[in-house]
Amino acid sequence: MALPTLVTEHWYDLRDLSNLSREILEGADKILPHGIVYVLAALIGFVASFLIFVLPSQLIVGVYGERKLIGRMQSRYGPNRVGPFGLLQPIADAIKLMQKEALTPKGADRAVMYLAPIIFVAPAVLLFAVIPFGPKMILADINPALLYFLAVSSLPVLAAFMAGWSANNKYSLFGAMRIVAMSISYEVPLVLALLGVVLFTGTTSLQEMVLWQKHFDIWIVFLQPLALAIYFIAVSAELNRTPTDIAEAESEIVAGYLTEYSGMKWGLFYGMDIGYALAASAFAATVFLGGWSMFGLDKWVPPWMIIIGKTHLFYFVFIWTRGTLPRLRIDQLMAFAWKFMLPVALLNLVLVATERMLWVEQELDDSYLYIFAVVNIWAALGAIWAWSRFLGYRPERNPVRARLVNEAGGYVPVPEAAKGGK
Amino acid sequence: MPTREWTGEEVAAAAERLVPGSVARTTAGACYLKAEKLVEAIEALRSSPDTDFVHLTNLCGVDYWDHFEVVYHLQSFVRNQICCLKIEVWDREKAVAPSVVPVFHGAWMQECEAYDLLGIRFEGHPNLHRIFLWEGYPGWPLRKDFLSMPGGLQPGLNEFAGTARRPEPATRLVQ
Amino acid sequence: MTDAIKTEPFVLNIGPQHPSTHGVFRIKVTVDGEKVLDAEMVMGYLHRSMEKLAEERTYTQNIPFTDRTDYLSSMANNLGYCLAVEKLAGIGVPARGDAIRVIMAELQRLASHCMAVGAFTNDTGAWQTPVMWAFREREKILDIFEMTCGARLTCNYMRIGGVAFDLPAAFEPAVRKLLRELVPFIDEMEGLLVGNEIFLARTRGVGVLTPEQATNASLSGPLLRGSGIAWDLRKADPYCGYEQYDFDIPIGYQGDSFDRFIVRIEEMRQSIKIIKQALDGLPGGPHSTQVPLALRPPQGEAYARVEGSRGELGYYLVSDDGPSPYRFHIRAPSFINLSALKEMTVGGTVADAIVVLGSIDVVVGEIDR
Repeated sequence: MALPTLVTEHWYDLRDLSNLSREILEGADKILPHGIVYVLAALIGFVASFLIFVLPSQLIVGVYGERKLIGRMQSRYGPNRVGPFGLLQPIADAIKLMQKEALTPKGADRAVMYLAPIIFVAPAVLLFAVIPFGPKMILADINPALLYFLAVSSLPVLAAFMAGWSANNKYSLFGAMRIVAMSISYEVPLVLALLGVVLFTGTTSLQEMVLWQKHFDIWIVFLQPLALAIYFIAVSAELNRTPTDIAEAESEIVAGYLTEYSGMKWGLFYGMDIGYALAASAFAATVFLGGWSMFGLDKWVPPWMIIIGKTHLFYFVFIWTRGTLPRLRIDQLMAFAWKFMLPVALLNLVLVATERMLWVEQELDDSYLYIFAVVNIWAALGAIWAWSRFLGYRPERNPVRARLVNEAGGYVPVPEAAKGGK
Repeated sequence: MPTREWTGEEVAAAAERLVPGSVARTTAGACYLKAEKLVEAIEALRSSPDTDFVHLTNLCGVDYWDHFEVVYHLQSFVRNQICCLKIEVWDREKAVAPSVVPVFHGAWMQECEAYDLLGIRFEGHPNLHRIFLWEGYPGWPLRKDFLSMPGGLQPGLNEFAGTARRPEPATRLVQ
Repeated sequence: MTDAIKTEPFVLNIGPQHPSTHGVFRIKVTVDGEKVLDAEMVMGYLHRSMEKLAEERTYTQNIPFTDRTDYLSSMANNLGYCLAVEKLAGIGVPARGDAIRVIMAELQRLASHCMAVGAFTNDTGAWQTPVMWAFREREKILDIFEMTCGARLTCNYMRIGGVAFDLPAAFEPAVRKLLRELVPFIDEMEGLLVGNEIFLARTRGVGVLTPEQATNASLSGPLLRGSGIAWDLRKADPYCGYEQYDFDIPIGYQGDSFDRFIVRIEEMRQSIKIIKQALDGLPGGPHSTQVPLALRPPQGEAYARVEGSRGELGYYLVSDDGPSPYRFHIRAPSFINLSALKEMTVGGTVADAIVVLGSIDVVVGEIDR
């Protein structure tokens, strides 16, 4: 698919910032030696990505916004002391963390323990390379971008395992064991859900997926709501976000694999946790929510603003679930992955494959996509209803109000009707 | 309707009927049992339907300078009644009382507490240990002569320990 | 293959510094992977030897000690101790004093159950949100305590023979306003949690206690009622005129952690009902009888108990005709409720053990005393 001609090549067209940087670098190339131009390019890239993505997303939304929003959900204020509205709180935190001593417990494997945060950081940065921020604002427009994303995003599990294993702490070991077991389980439905998207769009390039959604003017979330649901649950399990944060479950195993970390070693884990969540949100926004396209609005609004907005919208859902839901037990999470997510992902795949075949073989009209969307939304609702019906607890069978008796005495037998069950 | 508190005589009559020869003496509020018959009597009071003392609500020891008493409060839910049983332990050096853990699981921790603070050793307890203080703590804090016990504990902090020994409190006996 | 991989159980220390032990309490769990094989309790980190200290102080001076045993329900502790002394010395309490005591004890039960419900949901992993919501309501109750007696947590409000001060004029409207706000809060909290699939999955069938086990382990309070035994001292052995008020005893079904949770929620509703009745029928007259400061009860002993927030809170006092108690024993519900911890945790997972501990609702100040 050819690039649409919406972006002019002028430097002042801020809808795609790559024009500006190209102009600057081409101009500099004429008067400066090559070495300095490389440095300049790196500097521009760093400053631009910091101003556009890292500052608003990582620091303001990721650290400050999350704390502020969770604070409001918990009926308290959240950070409000450092700077205006507490906006400088993340910076103050970072300074504090750098000053703190990074302790290494006695008996820990020092080398592995130091290596783990570093290994944890690198993939988080690499992940953003394939996210398209605009028609041409993409660092590496590689064809197997989706596979690249999946491969790189399973790397931090290794770092988390190293962190938990090396710390010589039983809580850390528990966390490491849990995260490895869980990410293996959740990788399967995650990939199966994304396979449906690949099947429908016929590409593994993220840029082409965006263009596909732009071309047909329909987001994949409408075509495959079930895939988005599976992706969201599976990715929140891999990212250790509540309700599936069993690897660092605070009330059970203190902080899981992070228990023995302090100072900036901990800070890297904390910061990059947010980085992974943002990368997963950006990926979901690209694959399911149309990326930088917005039903023609991207002609007027810079596309990078659109995708950042979508990323933050998705990230807000992460914050929301974190602020509201209790945590599942590990065996329940495993059962959920294998007993519910895997069959539903397969069901989704079968449905999508059938629709795709019909669409291509019968050479159907584009408007059939909307019919597929209606069918798939109903299928998603049906799957969720069936789950709550057959697998979940049924409130009408299980009493949720205590019985009331007026006289003190001994044991009051439970009436047969209120015995309940699954 | 308030809980009926059994008088000592009532408990004694019931205990004597269920386990003959188990009652030592009675007072107005409590029934003193013989230590060697205690477990048997409590088991009988628990399982007999007209006493039905199924719930051991309180267990504690009291130091009376020359002897200890172990106090048991038992209650029944269905009959809404409570009674007070006691045994006396006269040997202060080797204070031993029978354990009621085989009858009431709830006595487990309360007997540990009485052992820890008063030094009454409950014979037959599965895991009698000092529950609040550490093993090897000198003396038994709730005994009345705790501060003149071997181990040399003095009131105050160690670095400001008084040189003059604290005068022995006057012996106060409860009849 | 299975012979080649050797596994052995290991010991995991939950506590004394752990986010979910509600203080400095320690459980040594022997685990095989996630499964709990054995659980042993270690306590005493907060032991202050209150029973010994109380033997050196007069009866009135001991009231502040009782605040500091179960620091989340100081009013109930005051009340239990004062009832024991009154029983020992044969002192009566005027009707207004009794009514004020009932109101205060029930407000304290509301505050304590707010904390219990919030902390329990925190243990299931609902990250701080329910506990902060519950804290918000608890703050309002503590404000009322502050208005009445000047202290929020360790109130020291009950006196032998009545209460320390009469109620201020602003008390009644403030309590009525509070009760109006609490009713929707309880409904909201209940609706959010009992309708939550994850919460149900975590608490249903976890830490089941049969009625026989609960009775034999000397349990009391919501644990006993959660197992289906209708035993509430306010009904069974009324004190302070509880027989005048119309309320019910909530009991559970199968004795799991969820049943204890719904029993607590329902008890909050019943408490509101009692406070409303007590406020409506608040008698006039003196709030306290005159009791000599150096009280010397006659020789004898007394065991008085109240239905505290965590169960039967008993005080066993022995007097030798002196100005201070000869023996002062607290039947601490948190401590004795822990008797059944091992039965409830063994066989579950580590995560279940945390939920069970949360459902017992321990206060370490009361365990260690």
